[in-house]
Amino acid sequence: MTTPAIPLPVLITALAVTGVLCATMVLLVVAVKTGREVQARRRANLLAPYRQDLIVVSAGEDHDDASMRRLAGATGIAAAVVDDAIVGLLGKIRGAPAEALVRLLVDRGKVAEALSDLSRPARGRRARAAHLLGMCRQSRAVPHLVAALGDKAGEVRAHAAHALGMIGDAAGARPVLRAVGATDPGVPAGIAAAALLSMGVEIADALRAGLADPDPRSRTVAARVSGAGSFVRSRPRLRALLADDHDLTTRTACAEALGMIGGRDDVAALGRHTQADAPLPLRRTCATALGELGEPAGLPALTTLLDDPDPRLAELAAAAMLRLSPQTVHDLAAARGVRDQDPRRGHPLEAAIVMARLHGAIG
Amino acid sequence: MNGRPGARILVAEDDHDISDLVAFKLGQAGYEVRTVDTGSAAWEAFQAAPPHLAVLDVMMPGLSGIDVLRKIRESARSTVPVLLLSARSRDADVDLGFAIGATDYVIKPFSPRELLHRVTGILARTP
Repeated sequence: MTTPAIPLPVLITALAVTGVLCATMVLLVVAVKTGREVQARRRANLLAPYRQDLIVVSAGEDHDDASMRRLAGATGIAAAVVDDAIVGLLGKIRGAPAEALVRLLVDRGKVAEALSDLSRPARGRRARAAHLLGMCRQSRAVPHLVAALGDKAGEVRAHAAHALGMIGDAAGARPVLRAVGATDPGVPAGIAAAALLSMGVEIADALRAGLADPDPRSRTVAARVSGAGSFVRSRPRLRALLADDHDLTTRTACAEALGMIGGRDDVAALGRHTQADAPLPLRRTCATALGELGEPAGLPALTTLLDDPDPRLAELAAAAMLRLSPQTVHDLAAARGVRDQDPRRGHPLEAAIVMARLHGAIG
Repeated sequence: MNGRPGARILVAEDDHDISDLVAFKLGQAGYEVRTVDTGSAAWEAFQAAPPHLAVLDVMMPGLSGIDVLRKIRESARSTVPVLLLSARSRDADVDLGFAIGATDYVIKPFSPRELLHRVTGILARTP
């Protein structure tokens, strides 16, 4: 079989076109990069006359208000650059200096402008507005940010959830939980969880409502936050969901949470879900949760897992047993003839003992 | 202020806003502050002129604050107090910092005033 030859003029033209395209791409990348650098330099130059004043105010050392007056006197593009720098600093400091900087933004109308920007057509502008309102910890913005949780742009929804967390008003808790599962994709679980944890103990009722949400993503976040934030009043609902929720991720999140905030009453349920008829991810999570729970009553269930065909589950069980009773693990290893100096044998008890030694948990 | 006026403090922080702010705040309180913006530079500065206290950001390019703290605790000047400054606020992160030998742990966003009180307190308690 012969390959048809490409005529030389066609080949030269194709190579030339490819070369021109490559050169254009390179020029484009260089131009964009240079443009950004020029822009950054320009902003740095505009900020330079005000930077020391920003540092003085941020450090809480502006005793005669001279720096604040100079910052307030910035106009035009310089004022916009100073405002952006202030928003950046508000993510790094708190206390009286942060409050002083927020007052400056409020006086300059930036908060009112951000509230209005939340309904602008440009999504970047809406996202920046949500960010500014969060950084300024403006309680009056809560209803507006709750509305922004339903924004058509994911970026805006995420910034709104984060902002609600920064403000820390529990009124935002239930809407944030709903927003995790209300849209596709919803507010990212990690952002929602961090925001909820920033809202304090007053979100307990919202979490219990979230555990009954029809969407499993919301239930999962509510379970994780219940555990991480030690919301013990969520326990009855966590137990019920661990037993019969149709979503496996929700069940594992409940098991994890019960490991953190459960008690002796939860040993039996967690132990039951380590058994062979339960899904493997749930078995593994329950084994770890039994160790986390710290109840010696969990030892028998964990002991039966040491010879499980799933080596990871056996390792997790051994690690959990070490947390409950290092002595039991040593005794068990000795009784079974497991030599804890030889990790190459690969028995989960040995792996757990070696790991515990590395972490300094046992001598 | 009774926290050893004039004490040398090493501040390692890759965010220049924060390092300038901390240096200014501590400088105003009478301390002699040196700032660096990488973990490696912090370790070099520590070896060249051991400070009375080090303020280390946890997340820095190259060597992290945790890495530098570990090196300090293994060095001949292992008792120099170290305050970790970090955005990592989970219990596990704080536990790790103290387990490696941090004297104190301040979470960002932080209050500059509170940071100064902590620095002053540590230096006052340090022999």
